[in-house]
Amino acid sequence: MTKMKFVCDAERCIECNGCVTACKNANETDWGIQRRRLVTIDDGQPTEVSISVACMHCDDAPCMAVCPTDCFYKTDDGIVLHDKDLCIGCGYCLYACPFGAPQFPKQSAFGERGKMDKCTYCAGGPADTKEEEYEKYGANRIAEGKLPLCAEMCATKALMAGPTDALTDIFRERMEKRGQSLAAWEPMQDDQSRETAATLNLDRMAYDASRQA
Amino acid sequence: MRLTRKSPTPSEPGLGISRRQFLQRSAATTGGLAAAGFMGNTMMRRADAKEKTLVSTAPIEIKRTVCSHCSVGCGTYAEVQEGVWTGQEPAFDHPVNRGAHCAKGASLREHGHSTRRLKYPMKLEGGQWKRLSWEQAIEEVGDKVLQLRDKYGPDSVYWLGSAKFSNEQAYLMRKFAAMFGTNNTDHQARICHSTTVAGVANTWGYGAMTNSLNDMHNSKSILFIGSNPTEAHPIAMQHILIAKERGANIIVVDPRFTRTAAKADKFVRLRPGSDVAYIWGLLWHIFDNGWEDKEYIDNRVYGMDKVREEVAAFPPEVVESVTGVSKEDMYDVAKRLADNRPGCVVWCMGGTQHTTGNNNTRAYCILELALGNIGVSGGGANIFRGHDNVQGATDLGLMSHSLPGYYGLSEGAWQHWGEIWGLDQEWLKSRFDQTEYADGKPMYANGITVSRWIDGVLEKEENIAQRSSLKGMFYWGHAVNSQTRGVEMQKAMGQLELMVIVDPYPTVAAVMHDRSDGVYLLPAATQFETTGSVTNTSRSLQWRDKVIEPQFEALPDHEIMYLLAKKLGFAEQMFKNIQVNGNEPLVEDITREFNKGMWTVGYTGQSPERLKMHQQNWHTFSFETLQAESGPIKGEYYGLPWPCWGNPEMAHPGTPLLYDMSKPVKEGGLTFRARFGVERDGESLLADGVFSKDSDLNDGYPEFTAEMLKQLGWWEELTDEEKTAAEGKNWKTDLSGGIQRVVIDHGCAPFGNAKARCEVWTFPDPIPKHREPLYTPRRDLVKEYPTWEDMQSFYRLPTLYRSIQEEDFSERYPLTLTSGRLVEYEGGGEETRSMSWLAELQQEMFVEINPEMAKELGIANDDMVWVEGAEQGRVRVKAMVTPRVGRDVVFMPFHFGGMFQGKSLHDRYPEGSAPYVLGESANTATTYGYDSVTQMQETKVTLCRIEKATA
Amino acid sequence: MTSVLTPLLWYRRLLGLALMLLLTCVFATSTLAADPEAEIKQAIGGASQETWQDIGSTDDYIDTRADSSYNLINASGETWRQIRNTWVSPGGAIAIVGVLAILIVFYLVVGTKTLDEPRTGRLILRWTALERALHWTLATLFILLALTGLNLLFGKFVFRPLFGDGFWAPMIAGTKFVHNYLGPLFGIVLITMLAKWLTINLPKKHDLTWFKQGGGIVGKAHPPAGFANGGEKGWYWLLASVGLVVVVTGLVMDFPIFGQSRDTMQWMNVIHAVGSLGLMAVALGHIYIGTLGMEGAFDAMKSGYVDETWAKQHHSLWYEEVMNKADTAPQEKAVDDATAKAHRPN
Repeated sequence: MTKMKFVCDAERCIECNGCVTACKNANETDWGIQRRRLVTIDDGQPTEVSISVACMHCDDAPCMAVCPTDCFYKTDDGIVLHDKDLCIGCGYCLYACPFGAPQFPKQSAFGERGKMDKCTYCAGGPADTKEEEYEKYGANRIAEGKLPLCAEMCATKALMAGPTDALTDIFRERMEKRGQSLAAWEPMQDDQSRETAATLNLDRMAYDASRQA
Repeated sequence: MRLTRKSPTPSEPGLGISRRQFLQRSAATTGGLAAAGFMGNTMMRRADAKEKTLVSTAPIEIKRTVCSHCSVGCGTYAEVQEGVWTGQEPAFDHPVNRGAHCAKGASLREHGHSTRRLKYPMKLEGGQWKRLSWEQAIEEVGDKVLQLRDKYGPDSVYWLGSAKFSNEQAYLMRKFAAMFGTNNTDHQARICHSTTVAGVANTWGYGAMTNSLNDMHNSKSILFIGSNPTEAHPIAMQHILIAKERGANIIVVDPRFTRTAAKADKFVRLRPGSDVAYIWGLLWHIFDNGWEDKEYIDNRVYGMDKVREEVAAFPPEVVESVTGVSKEDMYDVAKRLADNRPGCVVWCMGGTQHTTGNNNTRAYCILELALGNIGVSGGGANIFRGHDNVQGATDLGLMSHSLPGYYGLSEGAWQHWGEIWGLDQEWLKSRFDQTEYADGKPMYANGITVSRWIDGVLEKEENIAQRSSLKGMFYWGHAVNSQTRGVEMQKAMGQLELMVIVDPYPTVAAVMHDRSDGVYLLPAATQFETTGSVTNTSRSLQWRDKVIEPQFEALPDHEIMYLLAKKLGFAEQMFKNIQVNGNEPLVEDITREFNKGMWTVGYTGQSPERLKMHQQNWHTFSFETLQAESGPIKGEYYGLPWPCWGNPEMAHPGTPLLYDMSKPVKEGGLTFRARFGVERDGESLLADGVFSKDSDLNDGYPEFTAEMLKQLGWWEELTDEEKTAAEGKNWKTDLSGGIQRVVIDHGCAPFGNAKARCEVWTFPDPIPKHREPLYTPRRDLVKEYPTWEDMQSFYRLPTLYRSIQEEDFSERYPLTLTSGRLVEYEGGGEETRSMSWLAELQQEMFVEINPEMAKELGIANDDMVWVEGAEQGRVRVKAMVTPRVGRDVVFMPFHFGGMFQGKSLHDRYPEGSAPYVLGESANTATTYGYDSVTQMQETKVTLCRIEKATA
Repeated sequence: MTSVLTPLLWYRRLLGLALMLLLTCVFATSTLAADPEAEIKQAIGGASQETWQDIGSTDDYIDTRADSSYNLINASGETWRQIRNTWVSPGGAIAIVGVLAILIVFYLVVGTKTLDEPRTGRLILRWTALERALHWTLATLFILLALTGLNLLFGKFVFRPLFGDGFWAPMIAGTKFVHNYLGPLFGIVLITMLAKWLTINLPKKHDLTWFKQGGGIVGKAHPPAGFANGGEKGWYWLLASVGLVVVVTGLVMDFPIFGQSRDTMQWMNVIHAVGSLGLMAVALGHIYIGTLGMEGAFDAMKSGYVDETWAKQHHSLWYEEVMNKADTAPQEKAVDDATAKAHRPN
């Protein structure tokens, strides 16, 4: 199976928050829970850069490693999901996560945080029925053959989601076109999906994915 | 862009969604608590269940619609199940946005779920909102309007329409005002791009964006001046970044280091209000180095020599003094533009919303003409319009100075439209006040503009060029907080006899007045609850499906117009050619009616059938050229960008690039319009030896008339019917379209082939001049660059210039105040602030202050401050200390409302309809100042002072 | 006297559990270490080298999120995870299991330390009812917190695979609940107890001798000791130091309502874990001596009274002083309760 990832092209990200509300649209998270967020560094200076961040579905996910309840699991696509029935809201995943992805409905005395919520790569989560899945985790677009809505709706195609190899190829192409050094960027490795990557066009990837549905 | 600190819960929960959210939040709270945590999680799940859209297995209907937030015109797929908007899928096949959305577009589905709507007709009675039935509301409002009309004449009621209307609704609204007997109707284009439309149209023919967004891929340089697409037109950035990746040089000239500047190759910080001096500074280097396109100027441009004379007065040291930009930076930008052609210039409100707006827009045009950038792919004046249909509403004449299609208000114009409406001229005349005032007879005189309705109410009656001051106001889709002079506006609202707000949301107009009676709220449907066409910034018309039924008791705008027209007694005349089903006029019939009359701008070929065909075939259009590459409409351009000549049967493909002579007119080519006569001071105004491809006339030519056709020997090519219709007419007035058909067959442009002009002899400054803003911090420049003299009667009102600039405010108000947009909100923000997904992102009104200035004023980030404008309007806002703004400039976003000079107006909203986020309106602190051609308001330069708010 | 069988059984169970925990820990930590740097780099393209540095370290940023007290890249998260998973967890397991093993070996080799002389049958009051109540409350809380704490650290390797999610979900939720709500209570009881026993635990010179002679655990020597011997004092001061640290770190984590940063929480967690695991290991020793290790010790905390012989052997200084002060001749009790209570030389 191929591994799914997000990539945010900092050269293209314009901090329009389209990904943030697209996520709300797909998953209808509560007020205060933004599975995806925008971070801008050096605001108002020539070095200003904006980046869209959510759960990156790490290969070796720190959240999984530290969870006392072992509520996380990885799908065959490399998507890190968690079981809200197991989550006890201890906050360890947040302490460990490099991206600040896990969020809790609240933070109160005696470590009461409610159930952790994070990006599911629009792949839902463990539930008995569709209704339950949507209520707890939001959309399961992956099951419908679609990619996460945040990436599909990205205003400038800065945020991309898809198989690692496809993303790598797209991104390498962009960087070469811009004459950027590839040194700063560490391409992803995933041998199994190499043959599909070459056929995917720069910006039509998400389109293709949705058409396959 | 935002402040960091935000409330973790929606503020001030009222009724509606907030109560639901409250329940759902508390459910989550108990769920996390000991008991539920201990006993497992099933309890919590159940309690939570109500909040989200229900998962349904009902069949999914897919609707194609277009985002209603800005003029980029992004398409999207709406999934509807059993009448509920359950899904929104990106339209990857849409030729403009390819599925992409900004924060607003990505949350469109919430339009189908927002409960903070105006839910039913209401009236304010003794300070309380009282629910009415529609019948009762129409009855009461209608009676009051008739009473005002009787007592004060038809010009006493103002019909403020909207750029959020569909083309059909905008057209119908203009027709409505005409039938009511007044030109006192207008919409937001007045305070958006009116100076562009006037300036650009007077330079080369049409006041619209010349190229398409997609064509910007081909630009080699893009100059943004007073434009911030990353926040205002985010999806345009997709095209701009593609251009950048293909090697285009991106230059941003702005008082602020915007998000767009962060993506630019070059950023230049400009002093607000010095655009003309800046452009002349660039041209100084261009002329100095001989970088201008001489051949292009010779063949296609009139009056460049006079520009040279003016430019000579702006050598680098003068430019540096006026604009604050160094010689090196000026040279650098000029060279980038000269070396990277074709290039385009993009401007928005930063250029237009000035007292000198018309000068600014013309200066930008002149720069493009000097570089030979107009009429070529990758070049152009790419003016990004604001609201989703501000281009369409402008074209369809929802303005106080023209009938649809820019026909103006002359007797001829009335005859033209009267003929299309099938109405007797005498009846039309009888609707108007036939008295002669300072501006002439009201029927033929420009009406009061939206920017000035405040003065239309407050000004002494003897100074207004109509029978009385304004007594009744209809705010039909208008955000009053996007207008300047909030304090005086409140006063004006108090003096009105009738206020009617027709809108999906209550809007700030419903709460900012101090009235206890005489205010009516009528709930209108959104554009997702009706159908019709919408024109995007690059002149493409798109058809919208109705996604859902109108929510609550809302009605579509055209239905409300019908109900009112019926009550006011002119429904029969108004809907003569339009089928009415129940109370709802048939949208397609309205399209067909304006198709019959919009010859000037080529809104004649876009029949509803053709538009729907385009809507169904998004996937066939090229992302590069917007041309359909396959399918049933192969060869046509997306949305039949106007001018789409002739009648629908002629199947003109639309004009993707204006004035592009490399294509035959039949295939979308065009020349500059011969709009200003054929000669001036003995010099020909017609093009010199250049013409569009395949033209039978190989030189410049004037606009076509029946007479010309006869002289050329082309008359016989008309059918007999066409001959009858065309006799004595011209390309604009021949209702058969025959003249257009024949001249296009001959490869000619119906409107002639002329030069663009740099000198607009009908304007106050024929050659654009730098003039200091009315409220300027640079008193030393006032003498050399003074503003105009006061005007006695201009759009029916006295308009002040010199008498304001004379007084020095800079001592007490040392800071320059400018305003602009945020990506999360749109316009006055009432709609977007009522969407929880968006409101959450931007919860507080703020003012940007430079770190140095903040230190000087003793203000820290997140402090509450008072910003006081030079006319003493005060707003209490949060300080955001950021280097985005220069040292002496402060910036406020204008989307907030619902707070007034430190006081919350929350409780004045009808129950459960207050937006999630309220805040001070930037425009409470803005000041007087209107453009000398269009009455555009000044929002980008005024003076203010800032002090830390205690408590 | 309680049966010897019960604690034995209990020990066996604990031993088995501890060995299992140790094994699973070794397996769990043998996976490859994560590389957050690589994750970040591959996730965000198009940023320059300087931006990279900024992303990891800058405070100059703007965030769209309502609660944005977390900077973009949490560089310390992975370090915390490594410390916790590679060192603390296995280290703690090793310490606990190691101490257990030592105790078992010790027990098998040395056996119960019996009284040198026969009991006289005359009793001396050692712990009042209040003191015993305090001790047992604290002990119960300690054991509950230790077990829940161990469950939070190691439970997922044991109970989830053993019993499945249906059992595990309420168990771990209950674990967290017990741990978070009883933790503060433990702190209160601990502080009360520490205050109560402060005077008897003030160190004295002869404590050194006591330690030099290894408390007399091996051999026949009985180093002199006051009411509390060196070992008891050591345990007291360990609780007064490490114990309080564990309480404080626990409270910091338990009340995340003062804007604690992730870094703070990480450190608190590590300190809390190291401290409490250490305490658990030492507590095993305490429990051993109080039950199996020493004849007559358990009686003291059970009934409050000790035999004269026991007092003489283990707390000679106390015994002497108490006996000197006694007004009445020894009868059923060697010393009247009031005197015993009043004289506790340390």
